[in-house]
Amino acid sequence: MAQKLYPRGTVKRIVKAHSNRNVSKNADILIFLDYMLFMQELMREASIKSRKSGEKNISANTVRKVTEP
Amino acid sequence: MATTATPNARRRISPGISTPSGDTTLTGLQRLPSHTRYPLTPSRLITAATPSAQRSASRFTPRARGVGAPATPYGLHARQQRAANTPGRDRRRSGRMQRETTFDILRNLGRALASTSKVIKSSPQEKPEPVEEPKDEFEELDNEPEMERPRLSLPIQESEEEDEDASPEMRPPRMSLALGEEDMDITYRSVEYPRDTSIRDRDRLSMMSRATGRISEDFGETRYDSDDADETGVIGEEGGEDTMMSGADFDRGGETEDLGRFHFDLNFPSPAAAPLEDPIDDNVNDFDDFQLSAADVQPLETVEAPSDDDDAGGGFDFGLDLAPPASPSESPGIVGGGLRDENVPTETKEKKISRHGIPVPNLPAGVVKKLATRFAHSKGGSKTKINKAALAAIEQASAWYFEQASQDLAAYSKHAGRKTIDESDVTALLRRQRHINSSTTVFSLAQKHLPKELQQDMRLAMPP
Repeated sequence: MAQKLYPRGTVKRIVKAHSNRNVSKNADILIFLDYMLFMQELMREASIKSRKSGEKNISANTVRKVTEP
Repeated sequence: MATTATPNARRRISPGISTPSGDTTLTGLQRLPSHTRYPLTPSRLITAATPSAQRSASRFTPRARGVGAPATPYGLHARQQRAANTPGRDRRRSGRMQRETTFDILRNLGRALASTSKVIKSSPQEKPEPVEEPKDEFEELDNEPEMERPRLSLPIQESEEEDEDASPEMRPPRMSLALGEEDMDITYRSVEYPRDTSIRDRDRLSMMSRATGRISEDFGETRYDSDDADETGVIGEEGGEDTMMSGADFDRGGETEDLGRFHFDLNFPSPAAAPLEDPIDDNVNDFDDFQLSAADVQPLETVEAPSDDDDAGGGFDFGLDLAPPASPSESPGIVGGGLRDENVPTETKEKKISRHGIPVPNLPAGVVKKLATRFAHSKGGSKTKINKAALAAIEQASAWYFEQASQDLAAYSKHAGRKTIDESDVTALLRRQRHINSSTTVFSLAQKHLPKELQQDMRLAMPP
């Protein structure tokens, strides 16, 4: 990947803001890895949901339905 | 009385076993109810079989002498054998007899108790006294319950009196409550109560419309104001809405949101689309039928027709006339109700300040989109497109994810006693999310998803 996968500083700042704690030097990589796994699962669920409802593309409603608890 | 005799008699009994003393004791014992009863018992007769036994028995009870001989053969044999064995036992028997038979044992007890306890001796003496005392006590008790009864009766009477006295006092507040809202009481369960609530709710609804900022608020407010101020042109609508609201209020417990939606549903179609008014008014108001007949002919005039009849209708007609063009387009979206709820959290989330008051930056949309398309492609097989709305939803979801994940990480690090979120915390989170298990490790996941540079950095941070 020539392009940066993600801005490391931004992820660190997000986690730091939400947790009010410092983030160790390379922990953001693992956090982003977890985020990628989350995204993978989210898109998988959304695609399954959209396919069940007969939609070709993933729509906002399907994503919302998936993210709803 | 026996008060003086009994103690002396018992004292004589316990030390001296001689018969003459027994006579004296008998006098005392006869007067004692408890002791006189024992000799009457048949077992007592058993003890008094032999003349020697008669002596011992005669000492205690008078009737034991006369009855003396009969008894059961067993007792006779036993005492005869004893008499045969030891002639001189009579004197000693007196002590032993008491041991041998249960009643003698009881007598020993009685003696022991009598010798030790003068209080018991005094008890018969005092018996008349306590009899007198209870009388006094009863009298006192009689006096006391009288005193208590007035106590009990007094609070009741007082309460009654208070009620009677206070009833005018208490009633005025009730009356004041009632007077304040006589209509409320009268119409508490009738139709008029919801009218008040509906009017109040309209104020709230105007607030709701302002807050949501959803529906052409200006027209709505003017409309509400017109409804509240002048019941002229809107009477028909109000009547219908009120009766409709009466059911809604009691059923839904007066939740503002529901009421708000309910009102919006009713209000906006009403000016906008006349056919929606028609069923409501037809169902509810008989008075409006005439207007409705006109409305049926020309739906647009229904709004105008009452206003024409009204005194101040002209000013409000503009609001009513202006409302229709805006409402029909928006009313379906409002009826759905989904958009309103969705917009609010997004707006709040866009402010992006964490619970700790720290501004939260957004993850760039390009990164989110790249990841989303990447995983959507991989799973969708063919190219699945993600439109902007879906991307916004995904960004929202990712924001929620980061909030939740970072809070969890903070909890892990706090539990570990650290002030910084460490790699071990993230691995713990991954393990809890079942991303890491016996078959998959952090490194395998990293190798699968992360570029090499990040893998190297990660391995540097995690030597094992």
